[in-house]
Amino acid sequence: MNIQEYISKDCVTFQLQADKKEAALKEMAELLYQAGKVKNLSLYLKAVEERELEYTTGIGGGIAIPHGKSATVPHACIAFGKSETGITWNSLDEKPVYCVFMLAIPEHEDETHLDMLSTLARKLMHQEVQEALLQANDIDTFYQAIE
Amino acid sequence: MKLIAITSCSTGIAHTYMAAEALEIAAKDIGWNIKVETQGSVGAKNVLTQEDIEAADAVVIAASTSVNKDRFHGKRLYEVDVNDAIKNGQQVLKDSLQAPIYGGAKQTETIKVEKESNNNFKGIYAHLMTGVSYMIPFVVAGGIMTALSFAFGGINSEGAIAEAFKTIGGTAMGLMWAALGGYVAFSISDRPGLVPGMVAGMLASSSGSGFLGALLGGFIAGYSVLGVKKAFVKLPEKFEGLMPVLIIPVLSCIITGFLMVFVVGKPLTWLNETLTSWLTSMSGASSVVLGVILGAMMAIDLAGPIGKAAYFFGVASLTALTQGQTSPVMAAVMLSGMVPPLAMALSSTVLAKKKYTRDERESGKTAWILGLSFISEGAIPFAVADPIRVLASVTVGSAITGALSMVFNCGLAVPHGGFFVLLIPGATSNVFMMVLALAVGTVVSALLVSLWKKEK
Repeated sequence: MNIQEYISKDCVTFQLQADKKEAALKEMAELLYQAGKVKNLSLYLKAVEERELEYTTGIGGGIAIPHGKSATVPHACIAFGKSETGITWNSLDEKPVYCVFMLAIPEHEDETHLDMLSTLARKLMHQEVQEALLQANDIDTFYQAIE
Repeated sequence: MKLIAITSCSTGIAHTYMAAEALEIAAKDIGWNIKVETQGSVGAKNVLTQEDIEAADAVVIAASTSVNKDRFHGKRLYEVDVNDAIKNGQQVLKDSLQAPIYGGAKQTETIKVEKESNNNFKGIYAHLMTGVSYMIPFVVAGGIMTALSFAFGGINSEGAIAEAFKTIGGTAMGLMWAALGGYVAFSISDRPGLVPGMVAGMLASSSGSGFLGALLGGFIAGYSVLGVKKAFVKLPEKFEGLMPVLIIPVLSCIITGFLMVFVVGKPLTWLNETLTSWLTSMSGASSVVLGVILGAMMAIDLAGPIGKAAYFFGVASLTALTQGQTSPVMAAVMLSGMVPPLAMALSSTVLAKKKYTRDERESGKTAWILGLSFISEGAIPFAVADPIRVLASVTVGSAITGALSMVFNCGLAVPHGGFFVLLIPGATSNVFMMVLALAVGTVVSALLVSLWKKEK
């Protein structure tokens, strides 16, 4: 099992339009919804927004990982979006965000899937991974960056 | 350097692990050793062993939830937010070496609050225990000061020293309601819960609804904060800063306060008034029956509205006395009010030590003093943790003491003072029978609760 299985091609975009956090969250959640990964868009979005209120998911280095845990998600999955111009996110390092990983997590999830998500989270802390992600501009370079 | 750490965040999906990785990277960069236990939604991983803890130079806890720190007594313990570890891993590691030693001389343990179990019974129990653990020191400090005021100044706390003790003790005791309400709410909704919770606790105190009111108020406060947070999820970004300083405290206080004043307070105050008039109408009845009723009332809510009604009924009986007379009603009330803390002290420090936590055994020791001083609140920490078994057991014993006091024709001429007034000549009638009545009820309650309580 590898991370690619969680990020299907139809949940990856390199043309995020939004320049503000709220709009970006909506755009990414719609991506998941269009791909059938989330059954109820507004419920899922609400879970993500509530999570945002607790503390920022902008982890620095131009990366953000918003996430929502909701019964409207059948299986754990991830959407990835890239912005050319940067998104204001209220990040830990106060810099704009270019790469957004949005995690969708079911209410009850078995351990292997959660382990996979935590593996991804750990990878994102490494500078070389962050840099590779900022360079990535198509699906193949993106998959390489996170493997 | 050898460090250990625990990371944890509220959803337990991402930040827990990012913080762990960040600390591991930081340690590697400065050539230190670190082992990080992650407490995420799948449970604890890479769990620290006793050897790890012993070998460590310092402990870092990077968490946005409550983490159990019991394991780290005597270790340098540095607590930061999970985001600090993600952002400034190296700085956090370096600072941890300067952190103070945790729990120097084995202090009260922090009760672990499991976020995942927020909504079920276990969660409610954890909130209760958090509230109680913060309340106990207030009860102990306040109770002992009050007892000292009797010791220095007699039953009326006469003299400057005794008065000072009484004022200090009363103030500390009065704050226990705020601590109980505030920290129950804190456990439910973290820091924003403190304000409405403390307000609710004090409202319960001033409206006479006692510890049940304060407890209920704490829960209302905690959940009203969560409710306000939910209602304002969609707030525009520029207003987000107003949430913690303005919107949450004001709205949660309004919601909690109005519920306390108009909903929770009303029936409890009504109860108090109804009982008082009922007792007055009972005065003609057999004195033994009255003793049973007063005794049971003194214990059943531990100085709540029911107990207060019985107590003031006793005090009122004093006003009809002439010089040299004593009141049997007041004797029954005071003796039975001493039973709950004494019984819990006997059970937790002598009869069934193993069925109590270390914290409870500690408060059992002070319950001896509180009981002897007629401060029924000494039993509250036990009652909050295990209400049915404790309240039922102490109520039975108190009722027996109340009845025996009547049967033995004991009498008391002063409204307070506990064991200390028994030493004052003229304040009591049949003083040795008073001690007997007290002892029988205390032993019965203590045996009941010792047998009934579950093994830990």
